[in-house]
Amino acid sequence: MTQPSTSSPPPENAPGESLWSKSYRKFMRDRFGVAALVIVGIYAIVALGVWLGLWAGNWSELGEEGFLGMTREHWFGTNINGQDIFARAIAGTKTAFEVGLIVAVTSTIIGGALGAIAGYYNGTIIDEIIMWLYGCIDAIPFYLFVAAIAFALEGTPYAMHVAMIATFWSSTCRIVRGEVIKIRNLEYIQAAHAIGVKPMTIIYRHITPNTFHILLVQGTIAFVGAIKSEVILTFLGLGVVDGVSWGTMLSESINDVLRGHFGNFLAASGFLFFLVIAFNMFADALQDATDPKKISN
Amino acid sequence: METLQYAIRKLLYSIPLLFGVTLIAFTLMVYFGPDLTHNILGKNASVEQIEEVHRELGYDKPFLQRYGMFLKEVFTFDFGNSISSGEEVTDILKRTVPVSFAVALPAFIISNLLGIGLALMAAYHRGRFWDKFVMVFAVVGMSVSYLMIVIAFQIFFSTSYGLNWFPVQGWVDPPPEYADAGFFEIAYYYWYYYWLYVTVPTLASVFVALGYNTRFFRAVIVEELNRDYVRTAKAYGIGNATIMVKHVLKNALIPIVTRIIISLPFVIIAGNLVLEKFFGIPGVGLVTYDAITNGDLPVVKAVVTCTAILYVFALILTDIVYKLIDPRISYSK
Repeated sequence: MTQPSTSSPPPENAPGESLWSKSYRKFMRDRFGVAALVIVGIYAIVALGVWLGLWAGNWSELGEEGFLGMTREHWFGTNINGQDIFARAIAGTKTAFEVGLIVAVTSTIIGGALGAIAGYYNGTIIDEIIMWLYGCIDAIPFYLFVAAIAFALEGTPYAMHVAMIATFWSSTCRIVRGEVIKIRNLEYIQAAHAIGVKPMTIIYRHITPNTFHILLVQGTIAFVGAIKSEVILTFLGLGVVDGVSWGTMLSESINDVLRGHFGNFLAASGFLFFLVIAFNMFADALQDATDPKKISN
Repeated sequence: METLQYAIRKLLYSIPLLFGVTLIAFTLMVYFGPDLTHNILGKNASVEQIEEVHRELGYDKPFLQRYGMFLKEVFTFDFGNSISSGEEVTDILKRTVPVSFAVALPAFIISNLLGIGLALMAAYHRGRFWDKFVMVFAVVGMSVSYLMIVIAFQIFFSTSYGLNWFPVQGWVDPPPEYADAGFFEIAYYYWYYYWLYVTVPTLASVFVALGYNTRFFRAVIVEELNRDYVRTAKAYGIGNATIMVKHVLKNALIPIVTRIIISLPFVIIAGNLVLEKFFGIPGVGLVTYDAITNGDLPVVKAVVTCTAILYVFALILTDIVYKLIDPRISYSK
């Protein structure tokens, strides 16, 4: 993370400067946003380390003593099976990023593509069908929809991911569609039409790049949504089946806390809380920095 | 009369949506769903018995015909019997929906009213201390997991590690000695225990919903504040508070009402799985939770379908309410 030099700020509206570099400068001036990004970055490094097997590989190792208090060796104590809670929380970071990234990337791509198509073909049957599709998705309560998908995909560990992707794309689609309806009436699109550019080329070459700022923000929102939903779904028995996640730890902690052992609860909720709040603040800062209406004035 | 026509037209427009919602529910849960034969017959069934049950449940029929059977279930409101308890699903819903409603209603009202109040305050002090103060709390509220809040509130309010003011779990159920008590005695009993059991879940729900509500309402109100009529009103010397409540809030009502009405079906029927499971409240949420963990398909099917259909009706209702609160909307479109 490099801070742009503050000694000689570049002129506000340098000619030929792209909206992206303006956004970048605006984002870098947002102290909360940068701090949030640093926290997210640290989490990402932790997750990457777990994935590469650098640390927390011992999360499933059974210790000799359960429910140890906080010691120097076990920062958050041990759980009922004597497993080190801190290592489990670290390993859970990887699960959280896995779920978050898979869901955020896939649902944003689907939402962005369908939204662009619906917006471009606004008023035709294609638009109607896509609107109908997300209308139906929105009508079914999320957790029950996941349960329904789990019924249909009985036995696969990816029911949760599929269900989240199948629901999270709708909000992105709705927003992108609205934006594309505005964009497609601009002159440069009409010009592209006039010289005979194919509709699909117009959509992907000339329209989609102008919705990237929406996709970026929606992606971060989906990421947060996925991590938070994972916790609830795991509690409902629909989420992570093998491996460890903050959801499995929180579900475990329900019995622990009534017996006075708070290690699991504190570790899982602390890890979860700081990642989600950092991501929320990052999303806010990103939204402020990339909104073309706010940059230009 | 005009409103009625409008409502009927909206209802007709929503048919594709109803069709789609039932189609999704059917495809996921019935067509690709689990085979219920062995749940009905047990493990040691003969081939003839299995075939007969297959015929009864329609497993040997094509997709469209089975979808037709499903639609018939929906229209006659007859979803069959629960697998785990054998009770009729309709009876289960009749018993549990009022409970869920009673649990969810206080939190629903409080979180919306408080959300609008806080949003008005934040928008009024836009960019200054109170705005930032409220919005920081909103982000914190949005960032905590529901499960975490429920656990924390239970420890704090209901166990000896905290205040220990409320019971950990349970629901109003008058003991037998109240069988021949007078009306007021029973009413008092219900009233007292209702609040005893509902307070902690309500606090937890309000805490979780408030952040989202406040942010949403603030965004709506701030957008409205940027409009020209607000400047004009200020130029005329109308006080800030009057502008806020009389003009801005009134004009911001459409998105606010939409949000409130659309979340109603989830309050009425979907219940709250986590909350009800956690506090042992015998509402739709708890029944659904058990149904999900036991693979009790008919119950989940009924809850999903009913909520989805109610949601479609809530959408129609918002259209009608728009018309009532905003005279600029015409019937013709």
